[in-house]
Amino acid sequence: MSSGLLPLAVLVALPMLIVIASFARVGVEPLRRSALVAAGGMLLVALAVATTPGMRIVIVRTSALSAMPGGDALLRVDALSSALLPFAAGLWLLTAAVTPRASLDRGGLRRTALATLLTVVSFMTESAVALLVLWIASVWTFLSAIEDPLHRHQRRVVAAYMGISTLLFAAGVALLVWSGATGTRLEIAGIWLIVAAALIRKGIFPFHAWVPEVFDHGRLGPAILFSAPQLGAYVTVVLIVPRASPDVLRLVAILALGTAVYGAALALVQNSARRACGYLFVSQSALIMAGLDGTSVSALAGGLLLWLSAGVAFAGLARCVLVLESRRGRLDLSTYHGGYDRMPVLAISFLAMGLACTGFPGTLSFAGQELLVDGAVDAFPILGFAVVIASALTGLAVLRMYFALFCGRRDTLADTGIQLGLTRREAWTFTLVVVTLVGLGLVPRPIVDSRFTASEQILKARELRLADTPARSF
Amino acid sequence: MTSIEALMLVGIGTPAALLIVLAGTSVLNRPLWEQLTGRLAAGAMTISFLAIVAALLIYITTGTGEMLVSYGYWSTAHEGGIAIEFLLDGMSLAFAALAAAIAGVVSAFSNRYLHRESGYNRYFVLFAMFVTGILLVALAGNVEVLFAGWELVGLSSALLVAFFHDRPAPVGNAVRVFSVYRISDAAMLSAAVLLHHVAGSGSLSLLFGRTASAAGTGLSMTSATTIALLLVIAAAGKSALLPFSGWLPRAMEGPTPSSAVYYGSLAIHAGCFLLLRAAPLLEQSTPARLLAGALGLATALFSALVTRVQSDVKSSLAYAALTQVGIIVVEIALGLYTIAFLHLAGHACFRLLQFLSAPNVLHDLHGLESAAGEHHGAPALARIETMLPERAQRALFLFALERGFLDATLDRVIVEPFHRVTAWMARLDRFLCDFVIRQTPSLLVEAGDNRDE
Repeated sequence: MSSGLLPLAVLVALPMLIVIASFARVGVEPLRRSALVAAGGMLLVALAVATTPGMRIVIVRTSALSAMPGGDALLRVDALSSALLPFAAGLWLLTAAVTPRASLDRGGLRRTALATLLTVVSFMTESAVALLVLWIASVWTFLSAIEDPLHRHQRRVVAAYMGISTLLFAAGVALLVWSGATGTRLEIAGIWLIVAAALIRKGIFPFHAWVPEVFDHGRLGPAILFSAPQLGAYVTVVLIVPRASPDVLRLVAILALGTAVYGAALALVQNSARRACGYLFVSQSALIMAGLDGTSVSALAGGLLLWLSAGVAFAGLARCVLVLESRRGRLDLSTYHGGYDRMPVLAISFLAMGLACTGFPGTLSFAGQELLVDGAVDAFPILGFAVVIASALTGLAVLRMYFALFCGRRDTLADTGIQLGLTRREAWTFTLVVVTLVGLGLVPRPIVDSRFTASEQILKARELRLADTPARSF
Repeated sequence: MTSIEALMLVGIGTPAALLIVLAGTSVLNRPLWEQLTGRLAAGAMTISFLAIVAALLIYITTGTGEMLVSYGYWSTAHEGGIAIEFLLDGMSLAFAALAAAIAGVVSAFSNRYLHRESGYNRYFVLFAMFVTGILLVALAGNVEVLFAGWELVGLSSALLVAFFHDRPAPVGNAVRVFSVYRISDAAMLSAAVLLHHVAGSGSLSLLFGRTASAAGTGLSMTSATTIALLLVIAAAGKSALLPFSGWLPRAMEGPTPSSAVYYGSLAIHAGCFLLLRAAPLLEQSTPARLLAGALGLATALFSALVTRVQSDVKSSLAYAALTQVGIIVVEIALGLYTIAFLHLAGHACFRLLQFLSAPNVLHDLHGLESAAGEHHGAPALARIETMLPERAQRALFLFALERGFLDATLDRVIVEPFHRVTAWMARLDRFLCDFVIRQTPSLLVEAGDNRDE
């Protein structure tokens, strides 16, 4: 095995080991500890891959899954995916560390590891067929996590929307693979179908309605794990941006910009913390999509950067809500809950991660947002300011949530000595997330430069492909 | 690195370092003990003040004129990257020195005022955030750095309004304050982006520096007007000019030292400073100057009326401060920049003293009355009001007591329609979701359900 493939094999093996171990008669907490070690190891290996130039370029092509000349890159690690691998590992670590004990069982740890495995493998491939298989597997994993009759509504929503999305994706991939050449009507139709599938998966208007429903009903943990990696964004970057016409990308960007404002506005007025998280995800997801329209290097780099920063920040924020729910039950934002003094780390972490979602200075999202706003305004001189409005509304929504969840009421339980604070594991995990977001926010240059490299590669591939494409109306 | 570059680094770096240390220890749940926090804060403010004053002295004595100090690119050297630049001229250094001096005084006052207060550490984290922000605003060399400082000032202000966060009123008021700040931030960011878009640069030296003052900004009339109007809105939000004045009394919920530094001396003048900094742009745009002048004048008249019917000393002082802020904005609109800046500096110091001594005002008043006898007779201005018909006097009194009905008006015009529209959108989302589930082939939707059987 070449030196480049060995770390990738480790990245795949670690979650697989936990999947296998989950079938053994192992206690839940020991299995969780094993998962934490595996996730930590995976994060370190992924970071090594991301930061070591020699490890970053791995390509294994095959013509078996595509009629395209030269075949597809079945396995590849480049500037784009090298940063996504530690992102996926980090999400696994976060999930394994802070999932409340009451919500955790062997099956849950198995599905978490499996979801991470699917995500990591997805980020390592450019093959449309492989991505379709992984897409189906990820939907199945999510559905299997919510098969309890109590979560019937959530399962129906996921089955409906993700079922349609998967069918569209499958049809699109079939047409893409079948077409075998660029610019054919089949390829164009295939791209449109894949665009529709990605818009549904990402929750872009008018296909966004499933997101707040899924977050509000049933299990929040699997919803976060399913949404946070943004597989829809990855499909967009890998399959759509290199092939789609400027008009298609423009349409996607316009829908995304409108959705960003829409999601932020609705997040501001929700009384359910879960629903607010759902709409926040809609807004953040849309901002990322707006940056991926591929018309400028800086906008694309901004979108790629937001993908990482807002992805981690949102996952952390939603996990904070989950941790709070495990102690207080469902959280109503129309009343004040208090409790800051008992859980200062959680409160500060919530606020910091929420501000990271809004692009606050000092967080990693600030650099991404600046790039995105500049790029969006260059492409859409008026509509581009939707990013500004979305950011303003998101900031207000986050602060409102913070005040409702941690302030406004004297903490009478603190006087009784009842301890409902964070466990050490939870506290350290949230601290680590905050330190990462702020630390990278204060020294963002390496990661920003890497996103520029990735966006230049993507746009170069697009230019080469479109140069070979006969002019045809979309 | 030249001496002035090093001094700037120290001047801004020490409050930033204090912020990192205090915030970092808080995140790790190891907050420093009160005495150490107080000493670190005092030390940081002192060092910052000395560094900035030294830089000011070097600037004055060397007579080099306006300088752009650059520390290279912070985010990336690619297009759209953010550079760390500071624009040093008489105004920026003077304002920064004033800010550092006031911060030092308030820091020392706070150390005693908040002794044994449960949120002591939290206060100084937010205070450090504010000082870092206001220094960035004062010394910013490009719009990105200016915006970063602007946001830091706004967030720290809102969180300090909610300092006594175990009561619902401060928290509710903090949300209202922050909502106005977000409008101001959005206007500021929009102006910054537009500047980049039309001018190709965000450098304040190029756009608003000495060259721009002499020869104009180089922007077209439309661009200059649009950007200038956005900056006026941003300044109006931050400085509580009409129609945004409603947040000011709500902000008095915070501790007295924070009220002093934010709404008496520094943050409330940030909008004025922004307009002073963008003076070349304002000169190019008559509509923006007219708007600024009109808002300033209306705010001054409004606040002069409202301050006199307030029942608590801090609100009264806040509106008194706002009266002067309105006048400063009028001075800027008239092109009287030096007078405006001197007015700003003097007012900041005077109002700071008033706010810090506000808790003692009743005690001092009783002492004065004991020494000099009770004061009889209405102030001169009150005699003007007695010339009005009684009905008009009552209407005026009600208008002042309700603070111009600003909050109620904003609720009716913006908040309630916003809630109605978003409620309708939320219902639409639920309908869409149910519609999709109903229309989706049952094979897909029931696939999971069948597993239950």
